[in-house]
Amino acid sequence: MTGATIDHMISVTVFVGAMLLFISLFNQTIQTAILYQRHRYIATKCSDMLDGMLLNPGNPIEWGKTNSAPTGFGLQDPEFTQYRLSPYSLMRLVSSTGTPITYPKTGATYSNMSMGFGNFLFVPYTKAINYSIATKLLGINNTYGFQLTITPIVTVSVKETHSANPLTLTVNVTGTGFPLANATVSYCFLKVVPKGQGQYPSYTSSFGTAFADVEGEAVLSFPGVTSTDSYALIAYAHLSGLVGIGYHERVSPGARTRYVIPFIDSFADRRVIMAHSYDVHYFEPPESAVFYNATFVLLTEDFTLREMPMENSTGKADKVNYGEGQPYKTVTIPTYNPGILIITYMSNNEYGVVLMPWGMSSMAFPVTFGDSPLGKEWVATDTRMVLVNGIAYRAMLSLWSLAGYSVVS
Amino acid sequence: MMRTVEIFLVIMIITSAFIIASFFAVLPSPRQVSPLNLRRLALTTLQTLDADYDLSETIFKPSGDPEWAELQIALSACLPPNIVYNLTIYEVLNGENMLYDAKKSISNAESLGIGSDASSYLVASSNVTFSVTPEKIGEQWGGGTLYILNCSDANGWWITGYTAQGLAKDLRNLLSPYFEDTIMVQDTTQLGKILNGTSLQGETLRNAVVINTFGEAVPIPAGYYSSPSVGYDETHTSYARYCNTLGLRVHQYNWTWASIVGWPLYYVSNTAAFSGNQNSWGIYGMRMVGSYGLRAFLQGLDNQPYSYSTSSTGSPGVVYLSSEASYYSNYYGIYPSPYQTSTRALPTSILTDFNLEVGLSVFNQVGSWIPGAIYRHVAGGSTIVTGSFLALGLTRTPDIRLTAVSLLAYYQPRLYRSDYSAAGTSRLAVLQLGQTGGI
Repeated sequence: MTGATIDHMISVTVFVGAMLLFISLFNQTIQTAILYQRHRYIATKCSDMLDGMLLNPGNPIEWGKTNSAPTGFGLQDPEFTQYRLSPYSLMRLVSSTGTPITYPKTGATYSNMSMGFGNFLFVPYTKAINYSIATKLLGINNTYGFQLTITPIVTVSVKETHSANPLTLTVNVTGTGFPLANATVSYCFLKVVPKGQGQYPSYTSSFGTAFADVEGEAVLSFPGVTSTDSYALIAYAHLSGLVGIGYHERVSPGARTRYVIPFIDSFADRRVIMAHSYDVHYFEPPESAVFYNATFVLLTEDFTLREMPMENSTGKADKVNYGEGQPYKTVTIPTYNPGILIITYMSNNEYGVVLMPWGMSSMAFPVTFGDSPLGKEWVATDTRMVLVNGIAYRAMLSLWSLAGYSVVS
Repeated sequence: MMRTVEIFLVIMIITSAFIIASFFAVLPSPRQVSPLNLRRLALTTLQTLDADYDLSETIFKPSGDPEWAELQIALSACLPPNIVYNLTIYEVLNGENMLYDAKKSISNAESLGIGSDASSYLVASSNVTFSVTPEKIGEQWGGGTLYILNCSDANGWWITGYTAQGLAKDLRNLLSPYFEDTIMVQDTTQLGKILNGTSLQGETLRNAVVINTFGEAVPIPAGYYSSPSVGYDETHTSYARYCNTLGLRVHQYNWTWASIVGWPLYYVSNTAAFSGNQNSWGIYGMRMVGSYGLRAFLQGLDNQPYSYSTSSTGSPGVVYLSSEASYYSNYYGIYPSPYQTSTRALPTSILTDFNLEVGLSVFNQVGSWIPGAIYRHVAGGSTIVTGSFLALGLTRTPDIRLTAVSLLAYYQPRLYRSDYSAAGTSRLAVLQLGQTGGI
């Protein structure tokens, strides 16, 4: 009798222990499988969401050309079908990478999409679309996080290899880690023409075409350009449908502290503020005014630049000063066709030139929009090739869930 | 002891079950869990390369052309480094045995790994022009003249928001490719001429189509066609007699008379002759005929003696395009809304009263009401058509695409399209992508 009881107790104990162990083991397998299914769902969601953003112009369809927030989020160019994005909708996205800048004279903070000195793009937060608005419009607020990066496929870098007369510039054209051999490089060289103290500077432009070698390099030579001249080069590289843009400027040393900063003031009115750099960066001690001359140029189909007359002739050439009582100036861009605002400037007989794209693609600026995926547990990504006003870009969406579950428990 | 042994047996069985389940329940690799959409990437890559038709030009070049090398460079440059590709170009054949013939293939790897996906992109040679040539109505059976009433000396009714002249212009754009001659009848004098049997520009008068763009009103020439016993019923002080004369002319010349909206022939209009009269709704240059006009017209069409009596219409509400009209809407690429509101549908009784048969149902019949149709007149004991009548009994405002679809569906002119599958005109680019590295 006692033996049977002991036998019974041992067997029950072992059975209960074994069952608990097996339940735990099976549970873990099932849990992991469920998580994998959820991750697969995120990947599908990522692909769908990317298509949703890229194949839909949003509402209203021309929201990129207005100052108001859209009621539907989408980046497709309303004038086209397929994966063609609006250069203006992209311009209204708050950059996740650039450090924001505050301009005290407007009291506004600007999203910084600039690509280094002389290649500026500042968009006021009040007229830009931030990540929070986008997630709400996409219907993923508090459920998913994302980051959208739109990067030009073709990188065109310009390096000064000989600064004195004749100026020699080397243009390097690469794709995704692969040189674009035999690419055609069409360029526009802008040389700032000094006009003397207190005068508005202008520029001369020359155009040309060169071909990249097997390493994707093209050497351009400009006789008559001395080491003290200020200039800008805009180069378009194209090969078999791929188009990329590069740019390079050289300014006088003093013109790196006193210069004009263009801020977009109104998308709807195409108005750009011209600000003195001292008002933004608080340089000391007090310095002189900056005289500028603004010109808007369009990229034509044969990859040359064509000047478009400015609507407001008074703001086109003017001067800006800093400090209180010195108002900023504005210029109005004459068109909604993408182009480049070229601003030549002079201060204290130091000359320079700055560029601002009107439409994201004009200078092939990249866009990074959304939250950072760093530190997120499971990030699904998907990629598409897109065109922004004829410039080839790669759009990549990173998506993750905010639901709080993890890969393994 | 036996129980313990049994328990261990149970544990062994469950362990086996777990091992077997674990063996079969292989979790997918992360790449399978979160795959890159290679198909979409391939498609967008092809679209990017063809943005300026560079791809379309290159793939028709001979295989030794340097542009192939440029295409390969561009392809390698635009795809991420971990993506391998194979681009194959196929000639589209029109043979029965083989549809595609591989012409050239470029790749950057010997194999595309364990998983790959592909997209295809059909391009047409820039040397080939694809066109659509319509058959002309009347080429086979005679006629082929389209008269569009564009009279500057008449007003329209129930064409709210449009002018008859605007509608006439749109109709000409839509329909003129399908007719031998398209004549805009510029005033009521010209209308009088064609009613007299005189052509305006040497066109064939018989078997013509006449579209009245004035809605419920119809232009009336001054003079003979407004005179007693021809256009004017003195007994009843009504211009219903003119509608009767119109019916007689349609019968006589075997015309197809098209009424684009509302109750046909409810008013007559001539801004000079009726400058002091209005249609009871404040539109001057117009006289109301009322429901008598339609009946008088149908009497004329059936070559019956004129008698002043009323007609009726029904209001079946929402009506739907017939399957035949929908088919031809697709065929001709004209897409009016498939459902409309009908408040002036003609009764089926007119078919027997006036020897009419429905040549084309534009809308599905609702009870005893026909919301829209082309009626043709075939006299009793005959098989010859002597006049047709398109009546779209819809509420205002008119959609002239319905008129166009109705007439095209009735006459059915053929469209001769260039053959996209003709040899040498099209090639198919198939881009297959695979991933390397990672798991």
